[in-house]
Amino acid sequence: MRQILFVFFIFSAFQPLFAQENFTVSGTIRNKATGESIIGATITVKDMAETILTNEYGFYSLRIPEGNQLLIISYSGLKTVEVPLKLTKNMQKDIFLEPQSRTLDEVVISAPVLGRTVTGTQMGVERLSAAEMKFIPQLFGEKDPLKAIQLLPGIKSASEGSSGIYVRGGAADQNLILLDEAVVYNASHLLGFFSTFNADAVKDITVYKGGMPARYGGRLSSVIDIRMNDGNNQHLSVSGGLGLISSKLNIEGPVQKGKSSFLVSGRTTYVDLFLKLSNDSNINRNKLGFYDLNAKMNFQLGQKDQLFISGYFGSDHLNAGSDFGLRWGNTTATLRWNHIYNKRIFSNTSLIYSNYDYEIDVNLGANNLNIFSRIRDWNLKQELSWNAGSNHSISTGFNLVYHTINPGDVTSSAASNFNDIKFQQRYSSDIVLFISDTWKASPRVSFTYGLRKSFFSIYGPGDFYIIDDAGTITDTLRKKKGQTYITYLNDEPRFAIRFLLNATASLKASYARNSQNLHLISNSTTARPTDRWVASTNNIKPELADEFSIGYYKNFSTQYEFTVETYYKNMQHQIDYRDGADINNPDAIESQLLYGRGRAYGIEFLLKKKSGKLTGWLSYTLSKTEKKIIGINQNEWYNARQDRTHDIAIVTAYQLPKNWTLSANWIFYTGDAVSFPEGKYIVDGQIYYYYTKRNGYRFPDYHRLDIGATKVFKAKGRFTSELAFSLYNAYGRENAYTISFRDNKEDPNKTEAVQTSLFKFIPSISYNFKF
Amino acid sequence: MRTRKLYEKTLGIIGATFISMACLSCEKVIDINLNKANPKYVIEGNMSNISGDCLIQITQTVNFSDLSEFPGVENAVVFIREDQKEPIKLIQTSRGIYESSQLRTRPTHSYTLTVQVNGEEFTSTVKVPEKVTIDSLYIADFSGFGNTRKFANVIFQDPVGLGNSYRFIQYKNDLPNSNIFVLNDEYSDGRLVNTFLAFFDNSDNQRLDTGDTLTVEMQGIDPSVYKFFLSLSQNSTGGNESVAPGNPVSNISGGALGYFNAYVKQRRTIIVP
Repeated sequence: MRQILFVFFIFSAFQPLFAQENFTVSGTIRNKATGESIIGATITVKDMAETILTNEYGFYSLRIPEGNQLLIISYSGLKTVEVPLKLTKNMQKDIFLEPQSRTLDEVVISAPVLGRTVTGTQMGVERLSAAEMKFIPQLFGEKDPLKAIQLLPGIKSASEGSSGIYVRGGAADQNLILLDEAVVYNASHLLGFFSTFNADAVKDITVYKGGMPARYGGRLSSVIDIRMNDGNNQHLSVSGGLGLISSKLNIEGPVQKGKSSFLVSGRTTYVDLFLKLSNDSNINRNKLGFYDLNAKMNFQLGQKDQLFISGYFGSDHLNAGSDFGLRWGNTTATLRWNHIYNKRIFSNTSLIYSNYDYEIDVNLGANNLNIFSRIRDWNLKQELSWNAGSNHSISTGFNLVYHTINPGDVTSSAASNFNDIKFQQRYSSDIVLFISDTWKASPRVSFTYGLRKSFFSIYGPGDFYIIDDAGTITDTLRKKKGQTYITYLNDEPRFAIRFLLNATASLKASYARNSQNLHLISNSTTARPTDRWVASTNNIKPELADEFSIGYYKNFSTQYEFTVETYYKNMQHQIDYRDGADINNPDAIESQLLYGRGRAYGIEFLLKKKSGKLTGWLSYTLSKTEKKIIGINQNEWYNARQDRTHDIAIVTAYQLPKNWTLSANWIFYTGDAVSFPEGKYIVDGQIYYYYTKRNGYRFPDYHRLDIGATKVFKAKGRFTSELAFSLYNAYGRENAYTISFRDNKEDPNKTEAVQTSLFKFIPSISYNFKF
Repeated sequence: MRTRKLYEKTLGIIGATFISMACLSCEKVIDINLNKANPKYVIEGNMSNISGDCLIQITQTVNFSDLSEFPGVENAVVFIREDQKEPIKLIQTSRGIYESSQLRTRPTHSYTLTVQVNGEEFTSTVKVPEKVTIDSLYIADFSGFGNTRKFANVIFQDPVGLGNSYRFIQYKNDLPNSNIFVLNDEYSDGRLVNTFLAFFDNSDNQRLDTGDTLTVEMQGIDPSVYKFFLSLSQNSTGGNESVAPGNPVSNISGGALGYFNAYVKQRRTIIVP
């Protein structure tokens, strides 16, 4: 707390003298056709080289000198508006942007949102709007926001066709994935081939790869902030899509026109129809599938208050005949109140619920078994944005989270072999205070500096284990209900500076520390529904990352944008399995783990063409990610599994006449670092493989071309529709999904390596409509 | 835990299903340039409560690209000691095979293996658990994954107290089944356990058919042996979907691969109905 007061002192020390009177202009920017607030619309004050973005709720607040001023407001896919103002007092100005009319001869894809700006202090940020994702061809034609962002520099896919993500060398669990502020603990469907996010319900996706604002924290490598559509408050609108393996329907409309709205968006898959086609009874008796439901309501309560209720429900199921069933899913709910205290203070209060659970049913004769596991959070969040004047804008607030983790309840029939077991529930809380200030020190130099303070506590009832270096439990401590066992205090300073070189170029540097108290224990590269979340304990220390970053930003004309960012990240208390770990030990999982250091560094280039008939980007990343853990790889540094030296993505869309759009992506990356055996030996007459170095080998290089074509049909009244074709892996590259080893069938004395690849030449067709 | 294995397999099958939809011929043999590894000693040590079962086999690893021939290691000096008694030296009976005709285990006693070879020394100590007897062995049909298979079921009473570990070896017409079957009492402590020896290989020489002679050997083993076989089955079979395929956790110190298992065993034989 003292440190926070200290930060306030610093603020007051920098209050400069007023030379000219300044006034505040604030308001909300909305889409005129739907009434949706717009995230990340740019507001430029002419003659001032000053650009700001609207916040997550479409709100902006500017402090500018008195007199005649001209605001220029723009956003991808909407008409740019110029608003002249005569400033004599503080004023509120809500602004509506109209959609761009698209006729046959006037085809414009306009600027993708300026995720990265030359003028802001924020680094390492990527933003994609629904419009930008629209033309990217994807596997099975599913528009998946998490897969779309994998095409940006520094963000890598976990494996072929996977929605799992590695950001700047971080592990998959080091991404904070938020849907309307609620944590989504398992963002995958169908074993990772699809994400839980239905592109139709998503308004905006912002990824912070580094230098996160102080209001975000809790994961080491990134924040993926996904916002749902609010719902059309102007008229009832229905949209939907029919795809190869899934269909979706979206209904939205006003409850009270212009004031309140609702949205319901559902998606379901029929992927198991494909299983039915098989003659193999091993396959056609199986079932798998998922559904998603997004719902939101949004009420404008007078000029100053807005209330949102949003929820997500998703579920996957997987059955092998009647013998085995697995169901898993996320539920999130957010109740949010936006309040504008005055023209300079914007408040956001949220009550958030997150739940992830899975259930396994096994029916093997007398041995019936049911396993249930869950992680659940309650979260209260308060955030204030304060345009403090004299070039300071302050963001401050707190966050109270209560986590309950239930690693597994095993129940079985009386006749079964198994005892009913209730593994210990784990209770923990996270109390977070944060503050940050963006200070425009001079026309050229801006700073953002702040602090995030986290108090993470673990409570009883429960047994806590003292574990020695060999992983043996030497003592057990019993804590009573409500007793605090341990509290970890972490200070996370955040600092960023921007230096404007000229009107179109800038240099930026940043430093951020992040801590992580929830860890995913996974033994697989594919997202398993049963991967376990565990909280920090006396043995598992909070993971820490310190990231330093420097970047150069340049706009060439209005069409091109170029960015270079380089980073170095030092990570502490990283977790890995002991060799030969029993990963199924649910109670004292710590006895199976080892801890050590990690480091990641790299350089990322992005060249974006934002408008014209041809749009798209070119991204290149050169990077290295390593770990050093005592007890693994002879205690030497080794490549992390996700270490990929080169990573290239080329994403393009080209507008043709008659409302056709052609698009193509090409992706190349260095193969994953993996462990291959160098020798073999015999035990009990069977051949086994002898491994020497951890991740000392690599998969073959990965590359792939995807192409797509979209036809937008001419609107009939409000009815619009489009037809999209795509071909995934268009030249049929056989990329390695796994490489395994086996005896040669003809000559069992020889051993061979076998590569399995997944998807090649996958065509898809989908039809989308809206009215 | 067997259920877990089943679960992993199910995920595997469904994953494979999904894959087969997408790619029809997606498997191919590839060339990988693998380094040569320095040879390591591999010790397989077994002794039971029956005289004549005490056999220590010593081989070495070979390079991945070499032929799968594993010549025995000669000139090793091999001792086994019961508790704190005088060590007994084993005799090399053929290349790399060291035996003792009189050594046998007694429940609740500890046995220490010492192997000296070319200036290196490897040791391992295991404790033989209390004897647990098979109550019954029978065949039950199991329907799952689209077909009906016959599997061996074993019923036995687990003693109260955690730490009991078991290994099963199944013989079909005297030929051993190559699957690893191990079990501990973490989820079934003190229970009358009915376990079935499930495996997924449906080949003629593994599958149980009516008229086959089935023998099941049940071994009461030390937890360190359980851990070796569990990790052997999980990590060393050559897949790399798991993040870290590695070597199994040996209970032999000194840097050798392999295991030393001193156990109590019993066998039951039936004709598959």
